[in-house]
Amino acid sequence: MTNEMTNEMLRAPAEVKYAAELDWLESIDDGPKPFSWRLSPRMVRLFVLGSERSDGLDREIPQKWFGDRGFVERSIVTLASDRGLLLIGDPGTGKSWLAELLAAAICRNSTLVVQGTAGTTEDHIKYSWNVSTVIAKGQSRESMIPSPIMTAMEQGVIGRFEELTRSTSDVQDALISILSEKYVSIPELDTDNTVFARPGFSIIATANSRDRGVNDLSSALKRRFNFVRIPVVTSKTSEAEIVRFRTAELLRRHRIELDVPPTLLDILLQSFADLRAAAASATSEDEKLESALSTAEQIGVLEDAILHSHFFGDRTLRAETLGGSLVGSLARRAPEDLAILNKYWHGVVEPRSQKDGGEWTSFLEGGRQTISTLS
Amino acid sequence: MSADMSPVVTTFDALRGQLLDAAEAFSGGGDTLSGILAGMVDDVDRMLREELEIFPVCHHSPASALAMTRRLRTKRPKVVYLELCEDLRPLLDELRNCRLPVALQAFATQLDGFPPGSGPLSVVAPVTEASAEYQAIAYALDTPGVELVLVDRSVDHVFQWLPGEPDGTASSGVEGVDGEEAALHGDAVGVEIGDLRPRFAELEAHLLHHGKVRHWSEWWDQYVEQPLTGADYDTYRQAMALIGSLFRRLRPTEDDRLAIDEERERYMWTRIREHLTASGADPADCLYVCGAFHAVSRVAEFGLAADAPPYAISPRTGTRWLYGLIPSSHSAIEAQFGLAQGSVSIAAATWAKAGRRGGVTPYRLEGQQGGRTRTKTVKTVKGSEPPATAGPAGDRLSGFLAAPPVLDGLDEDELRGWCVDIVRLARRGGYLASTADAIAVFETSILLAGLRGRARPTPYDFADAAVTCIEKDVVPGRRDVRRLCEILLGGDRIGAVGYDALPPLARDVYDRLEPLGLDLSRRTQQRVLLDLKANPELEPCSDVLWKLRYLLPDGAVRPIMGVRRLGERPIQESWDLAIGRHQRSIIELGYEGVTVEQVLEQRLRRTVWEPQATAGVALTAVADAILYLGGRRFADEFGNRAVELLATERTVDDAPEVLRRIRRLLAHYRATEPELPAWCEAFVTVGYAHYCTLLPTAFADDDTGVRQVGAMLGFLFTLESLALSLGCDRAQLELAVRQSHPEAPAKVALLWAAKTQLGLLPRDELRARCDELLSNPLVVPAFPLYLSGFVQALEPVPALAPFVVEALSKAFARLPDPVLLPWLPTLIMTLRKHVPELVPVLVREAGRTFPGGLAELDAWTPPWERPAVPIRQGRQTGEAGAAPGRSGPAAALLARHPQACDAVAALLGCPAEWPAAEVPEPGQVEVRELLARHPTTTGAIAALLDR
Ligand SMILES: Nc1ncnc2c1ncn2[C@@H]1O[C@H](COP(=O)(O)OP(=O)(O)O)[C@@H](O)[C@H]1O
Ligand SMILES: [Mg+2]
Repeated sequence: MTNEMTNEMLRAPAEVKYAAELDWLESIDDGPKPFSWRLSPRMVRLFVLGSERSDGLDREIPQKWFGDRGFVERSIVTLASDRGLLLIGDPGTGKSWLAELLAAAICRNSTLVVQGTAGTTEDHIKYSWNVSTVIAKGQSRESMIPSPIMTAMEQGVIGRFEELTRSTSDVQDALISILSEKYVSIPELDTDNTVFARPGFSIIATANSRDRGVNDLSSALKRRFNFVRIPVVTSKTSEAEIVRFRTAELLRRHRIELDVPPTLLDILLQSFADLRAAAASATSEDEKLESALSTAEQIGVLEDAILHSHFFGDRTLRAETLGGSLVGSLARRAPEDLAILNKYWHGVVEPRSQKDGGEWTSFLEGGRQTISTLS
Repeated sequence: MSADMSPVVTTFDALRGQLLDAAEAFSGGGDTLSGILAGMVDDVDRMLREELEIFPVCHHSPASALAMTRRLRTKRPKVVYLELCEDLRPLLDELRNCRLPVALQAFATQLDGFPPGSGPLSVVAPVTEASAEYQAIAYALDTPGVELVLVDRSVDHVFQWLPGEPDGTASSGVEGVDGEEAALHGDAVGVEIGDLRPRFAELEAHLLHHGKVRHWSEWWDQYVEQPLTGADYDTYRQAMALIGSLFRRLRPTEDDRLAIDEERERYMWTRIREHLTASGADPADCLYVCGAFHAVSRVAEFGLAADAPPYAISPRTGTRWLYGLIPSSHSAIEAQFGLAQGSVSIAAATWAKAGRRGGVTPYRLEGQQGGRTRTKTVKTVKGSEPPATAGPAGDRLSGFLAAPPVLDGLDEDELRGWCVDIVRLARRGGYLASTADAIAVFETSILLAGLRGRARPTPYDFADAAVTCIEKDVVPGRRDVRRLCEILLGGDRIGAVGYDALPPLARDVYDRLEPLGLDLSRRTQQRVLLDLKANPELEPCSDVLWKLRYLLPDGAVRPIMGVRRLGERPIQESWDLAIGRHQRSIIELGYEGVTVEQVLEQRLRRTVWEPQATAGVALTAVADAILYLGGRRFADEFGNRAVELLATERTVDDAPEVLRRIRRLLAHYRATEPELPAWCEAFVTVGYAHYCTLLPTAFADDDTGVRQVGAMLGFLFTLESLALSLGCDRAQLELAVRQSHPEAPAKVALLWAAKTQLGLLPRDELRARCDELLSNPLVVPAFPLYLSGFVQALEPVPALAPFVVEALSKAFARLPDPVLLPWLPTLIMTLRKHVPELVPVLVREAGRTFPGGLAELDAWTPPWERPAVPIRQGRQTGEAGAAPGRSGPAAALLARHPQACDAVAALLGCPAEWPAAEVPEPGQVEVRELLARHPTTTGAIAALLDR
């Protein structure tokens, strides 16, 4: 049944996708569980970071989020305390993914999500009314539509708030009262007009450190969250693992049979590393690509190249395609980004292809063509 | 297999799991694995069976220190052998005069037997209080009848054996460490007792990964330190030996450090055997303290019963080693040995706590400065010392097995205290932290410890929790929460070397700065004001400070007000002193000599005798010797060297520098000495001949700049009268000028100027040549270059200034706009580039030539267009206004007493000619009035004459 569901959904939430694994972990978990958690903190960590042989499990649990274990541990204990968790970092560092995994492991529900935008209103985090029911039956709990956050409160589970900093300060203020009082009152009703949070309720929010300051969080709200800063992965081995892990999934999802040759993966990682180094030493915004060059972006480039090869190519991933995809995905601002990429292509890729040859030469060619098409 | 291991390791389930896992992962399983496991059991057995009791230690391990203290108290050995460079032994007696941590240092600049250029060599061995070795040292030095014998190879051998890349057992100073505390060791090579760490990165990564910890210090703390803290002696020894054995067996095959380690082990056993034979000590009364790695050595010399052939200790090189103590710090140790930031501080805090808890009284050197003073109050809780049972091997751990070790985690009160303190610190650091945060940190610490499988939170858990709960998106102040936690948990401790342990030079410096009334051991920067007029007795202090400023790195002593220059006497000086912070530098100066003067002298001497030294360098040394050393001896020595260097110099690159310096020195000597030193005279004569000889080549050579040639001419013209009086021949100069045939326009101009000065080219002809240049459209583009040559000539021929102004004005006046306008930027650039320092001279001259206002400009005629005669006529007829100040009573007075003006003119190198003005009869009232109105000068002269 779960298998079927997984197959039918374009992208299954983590609790569905890893249902069997979570069931099994729950069955062997004898550790103490806070509140109504489905797994003990240690099992949550195991689920997210994967198992070791020394854990002595009968079944191997794959690693799903890659990064310093301290971040995961700090996130888990935050959720077990009475503070909300705010994952902050550059876009594409896996914040939302970690939030989803944690919610799935802790309460088997990662879908109570509010997306923060400039248009998010208080209703989105409290409740709204079903107008036709109100007209038919008047205002009652029945005609009320609880927000995902309110649902999470009622059920004592984890609610998620994506891109918290993008929402307006009204919304942030409403969140303060939810996090501190832990109830929401419904003044429109005479009776049954308070929704109390059950134990186990907490919020995982994510925030993009690149647009911090758009609606800088108030200090009152900051105080109710523990911040866990997720850095951009810079170690090549863990980055390679992430990219491999995610593309495998993608290939499975699209039912694509295609090999990602390790040399191409290397080229991808190397070029990102170069571009990051260049960005780090840039002195002005104009010398920096707009892209944060995160792991997710790398995955994006590879995805693009894979899909391109599969649907428009000869079903083999080639270095030319990868070069083209890299330029195509990173050149967002003409002319600045193109100029930077052009410089990189001339200054780094070209000499490297002369020195190392091999796939770098085709990579050089593919990128060059795309650059000339775009400019 | 594991059945064999069980007596040793089941007490340490976690540790055992970690070690076995690692063994399996890296052996590839199967036979190799069982070989390794069997070998480990053998290793431990071998150590236990050894007749000489071996005490395995690990650096910065409070558990090691604790076990050491207990063992020393029960065993009371008569001889302690210690793994430490044997030649450092005398320094240990000085430790009590210091505030720990300090480092034992050996230093060598005069190398003999090492490749040239590899010096200076420096070795440091830091000593902290929370270490097993300090316990052993303190016990041995303060217990009568106990002998402390250092048995490791000498520091000389450290370098002899150092592999190509110096990262063997010794780790060389880390580059790029931040903070000056962390850089306290400079770039010395570090040696440490009990270096115990996986020998390859993968093994360490494996242990960290599987141990679910972030860094090595945390791994050690969790899996070794905590379980061992309460363990009895046998358990301690076995566990340590086991780790040593695993690391020894799991090492990269190409590890050349092992060869060095084994060499050291042979060395140590040989020294031990020698000592036992010589002293006749009973091995049962001895204790051998070494790193766990060496405790399980497999070398044939291991053990007193070993029958290996005698090991010959290789001789030391002829290098002269100097020894001393320098201040160290926790962060310096962490940086040097690649430990996690804060880990040494945490070890120190753990050790202090163990001491407070009681159970064991640590040893402390009599009179040891700083640190805890409460040792006396710590009382030994009877019976809490785990007994060292002497039963058979199988029995050893039974008591321990029954009662699992009490983890030495935090107790709740302590944790609560930390939580309150960190919030306080955070608030002071600009964070909006509150009591709610303190509670959250407390809760989170406990949760984290639980998640990490620890019975109680460790300092690492606490720090993580504090970061989680308090750190937000931005760090408001200078320090982030992690740094604040480090400070809270003991912070960086910075040692200081006590006065008595300082080398003579440093003591001398401290003594001589005493009158300033400062606490020089303070690590902060201190401002001092020296009013040398009111307190002339402070002048010696000022002298010392100037010398230190010359010798020490930037920032140690910094003059804020006051300069020391030839011919100036300071009245007031103010200084920023950070002597305490730069104690190491002062101590290292002490390796170069016994006084700052001696060091200064040696350094100066070294610079002038270096092969690449130049006359300019030597003249600088002369000035420095005058300024800092006083007396004539060194100045004369360096001056003579300058003469020598000048005579043999083949290039004139240095000429501007030489000219500047010798002029200053001449002025200095003329003002202070009755006659010039002989070397000065020699320098001028040699220089005159030298520059004359080189002049034609310098003019012709494209590589020699105009500036250089200008400076040569400057030397020749401005020092000419002195040179001629010393017997030089002007004909030589004239000949040199005649032989010069430059091609570059700037040099051509320079040559013309020189000829004008020598009277070889009349001013009118010079003018004509310039006019010619200006009227030739082909040459006009090069005119700025000629001009820059003329401007350069202002230095040797200052009288040329009006002419240069004239040439410029003409260029502006005569050149047609299409030529002039594009030419202007070139002119400006040329002037700016070639002669920036002479442009002001030119501007001043122009200011004198041109009228001050626009109104006057209309009626103005440039001096070079005025007929020459009327001016003279005007003056002759005494016409007022034509040349104000050239007539009248003051002028008359000067004309009557021309000596002073003549002398000034001679000094300035101007011809002293007097206009044939009328000489009025003496006694003019105006002069009297003048003097009456300005009596100060006369008074001063009178006072001078009185004296
Ligand atoms: N550390 C990581 N571990 C696993 N996957 C990651 C990691 N970082 C990025 N990714 C991948 O990148 C994708 C985008 O990450 P996402 O969580 O949306 O980033 P964010 O929310 O930080 O902008 C995720 O779906 C995930 O596959
Ligand atoms: Mg996101």
